[in-house]
Amino acid sequence: MNDLLVILDIGGRSAAIAAVDVQSVIELEDIYPVPMAPDFVVGLAAMRSQSLTVIDARKAIGLPDAGAAGERAVVVEVGGHQYALLVDAVHDVTEAQSDIKPVPGGFGAAWECVA
Amino acid sequence: MDDLLADFVAETREMLEAIEGELVAWESDPSDRARLDSIFRFVHTVKGNCGFFDFPQLEKLSHAAESTLAEVRAGRRAADSKLVTAILAIIDRITQLSNAIEAGDALNDDGDEFLIAALDADSDDEIAEAAINAREMSSEPSEKPAESPAASPRSIRLPVELLDRVMSGVSDMVLARNDLARRLRDAGNEPTLDGPFERLSGILTDVREAITRMRMQRIESLYNALPRLVRDLSNELGKQVMVDFEGGNVELDREMIEMIRDPITHLIRNAVDHGIEKPADRLAKGKREIGLLSIASRQSGNTITMVITDDGNGLDEEKIGAKAVQSGIVTQSELDAMPSTAVLDLIFEPGLSTADTVSAVSGRGVGMDVVRANIEKVGGTISVASSPGEGTQFFLNLPLTLSIISALTVSINDQFFAIPHSYVEEIAHGKAASVEFSAVGDSDLVTFRGNRIPCLTLNTVLGVDARRAGSDQRLVLLRMGGGKLFALAVDRIHDQEDLVIKPLSPAIMATRTYAGTTLLDDGRPVLMLDIPAIAERYGLVSDIRGRTRQVAPVEELVSDKASRALMTFTDLDGRKRAINLDLVARIDQVPVEAFDIEGSRANVVIDGSIFDCIGKLDYPLPAGQVKILRLSDSENELAYPVAELGQSEDYAGELTPVDGDPEVEGLALIAGEPVPVLGGFYLFAGKHPVHNSATAPLCRLPENDPWTERMLAPLIEAAGYAIAKDDAESADITIALAGETRTSPETGDVPIITLYNDPAAVAGQSGAIYRYDRSAIMEALHNAKRRKAS
Repeated sequence: MNDLLVILDIGGRSAAIAAVDVQSVIELEDIYPVPMAPDFVVGLAAMRSQSLTVIDARKAIGLPDAGAAGERAVVVEVGGHQYALLVDAVHDVTEAQSDIKPVPGGFGAAWECVA
Repeated sequence: MDDLLADFVAETREMLEAIEGELVAWESDPSDRARLDSIFRFVHTVKGNCGFFDFPQLEKLSHAAESTLAEVRAGRRAADSKLVTAILAIIDRITQLSNAIEAGDALNDDGDEFLIAALDADSDDEIAEAAINAREMSSEPSEKPAESPAASPRSIRLPVELLDRVMSGVSDMVLARNDLARRLRDAGNEPTLDGPFERLSGILTDVREAITRMRMQRIESLYNALPRLVRDLSNELGKQVMVDFEGGNVELDREMIEMIRDPITHLIRNAVDHGIEKPADRLAKGKREIGLLSIASRQSGNTITMVITDDGNGLDEEKIGAKAVQSGIVTQSELDAMPSTAVLDLIFEPGLSTADTVSAVSGRGVGMDVVRANIEKVGGTISVASSPGEGTQFFLNLPLTLSIISALTVSINDQFFAIPHSYVEEIAHGKAASVEFSAVGDSDLVTFRGNRIPCLTLNTVLGVDARRAGSDQRLVLLRMGGGKLFALAVDRIHDQEDLVIKPLSPAIMATRTYAGTTLLDDGRPVLMLDIPAIAERYGLVSDIRGRTRQVAPVEELVSDKASRALMTFTDLDGRKRAINLDLVARIDQVPVEAFDIEGSRANVVIDGSIFDCIGKLDYPLPAGQVKILRLSDSENELAYPVAELGQSEDYAGELTPVDGDPEVEGLALIAGEPVPVLGGFYLFAGKHPVHNSATAPLCRLPENDPWTERMLAPLIEAAGYAIAKDDAESADITIALAGETRTSPETGDVPIITLYNDPAAVAGQSGAIYRYDRSAIMEALHNAKRRKAS
């Protein structure tokens, strides 16, 4: 049984997140900015009376700001805190065809620090 | 049965359940140190808790068991099977007794002596046998009634996670209700729906409040039991101790309070037993007879800080070190390499006690390791500071896993923020008449009710459209520890609400600006500002330790010696000089006319008082307003006029001594320039204190006039004049009221000031002054004095 992956678009590139880590995919309506926070933190949003830290996935991996991010966000929980990752688009859940393998030749410094 | 007693029984039972397994395991392997320790802690805790209540049997039993176990822990006795049996018998007996207490039965102490005797190393098997038998016999009657209260408990204990789930469920319901309310409003008036909806809302509010209360408890509930404990303990030990509590309204997780109850009790017992000295010893050391034990709690950011301070003997570092080596916790060479704070921290190691005698109260060195274990279990930290002879302080930091904070919601640019209510002193409208903005350099000041306090704008703090404070804003006056105030200007102040604060993600916490987040009723997230961190960032520093710093000034004294605060200024001769900042009481600005310099005598009038003036007075004073350093040696004040003020500097280096000039204490190197530092001693030496009444000029006042006596006389005296008492004295100036016909006894050229009730009447008349024109009166007095001197 291969892992299930959620396929996303981040800054025009395809990416995947293990489906078990994804709590839900939501449409964010109101995002409340957090002054002083690092620029990849878009702000806070509320989901089911929990506050989420909204992260702009493109900025987090160092891609240039390509206009407004999509409204789709993937909710993940890390270390007891919930985050909403803003992505361009969420496509589908698919089964991984193989085990996760390193990409030959690397895939860029910014991507490596999140991988 | 009161709550405390119920708590005691519940706690004892819980611990019994917890160590049941340990007991069995210990029986099979008596050499197991970890098990021994946990059993030891149990009996120690029971003994400690007995301090609250009057249960001599329980205390006797647990004390006996504790003593025996302490012997075993110290390696003086082996845990043979006989000893294990005897200990187990005592623990069974404790179970029985606590059951009996819960049922409200009278406690019988049949067989207790046997149980205690059985612990004795020399006891023969017969006694042990008898003891066990006695226990079995006595267990029969008390076992049965204990069943009934267990069947119908008054309170239940719930896992906190369950409460959390209920709580978040209720929060969701509130949000859903708000959503529904919006839709109902949009749909227009629907009487059939509105009624039930209102009812639902009301119920929901009640439920939410109840759930909230379930989780939270004021720390007062912890404080309440302590005065009694301290009283009983200090009576027992022949000491006098006063307890002072602060911050009783800080709310803590109920679970947290339960978890810290024991550690706090231990700390307080230790403070009374070992810290605070006997009254006679205290008097001999020049302290007050009554020892002071203070417990202060404060919420700061994401933590609750508790400081437990006693003004007793402090911790003896050497003794702690020696004991630690003796108990094999550290080796001598390790100890030698330790900084003194690390040595103090050794008191938290298991098996260390510095008390020479073991008392019933404490002193077996079990306390502190248990204290630390319990505090760390809840994710807190504990540290200790001590100054020999002056007292000990324990700092506890407890996390704020979930707390309800009463907060003020404010906004800038339509974004909401919350400020913990505990910091808010007052709020004010920027347009109010009592508020006056002023700017010094890049920072804003606001004068509010005569106090000039620093003012930050939330815009600037958060870097959102940074701006200066202005009258279109609202001000929140915040009080930091130590009583320091600062103002935070915001666009709008909304409401005061009780908010459930949740921790923020690390990326946002790293900004050191926010303490947490919460959701408002309409579902929008709000950030809680971390006021202490913001104050610190802008140099408005203070924290909870400010209050208690008076007890532990050790570190500060050291730093004072290493560096001194100097105030630089440009003197009248144009040279740069510096003076010890401690000497400068305040800085004033007076008109040049207020100076009266003549030969070697120089005075200045500041606020109606005459001050001796020193400094480079041979040089001309600047025109207009003159800046004055008011120097004080805490008894006398001197005025030192300067041309320009410099700044205050922390000067860490040594002063280079200079010969020949007694006025200069030495040279300081400030910004690459040698700056002479004026010596305070020389400045004050030989100077007269203010108001030298022997040479004070006399002033004659109208007699038998209430306004004169009440209003005028104090003013005249403050100006350095004495009041003429009878006609025999020759006055230097006469003050008369308009319309008064009394002739002055003075002959010759004595100036007369006539005071008028109507400001309009004084126009054009010489010597006529409106009676509330303070500065004119002062000036006239000043002139008269100058005349006398010449």
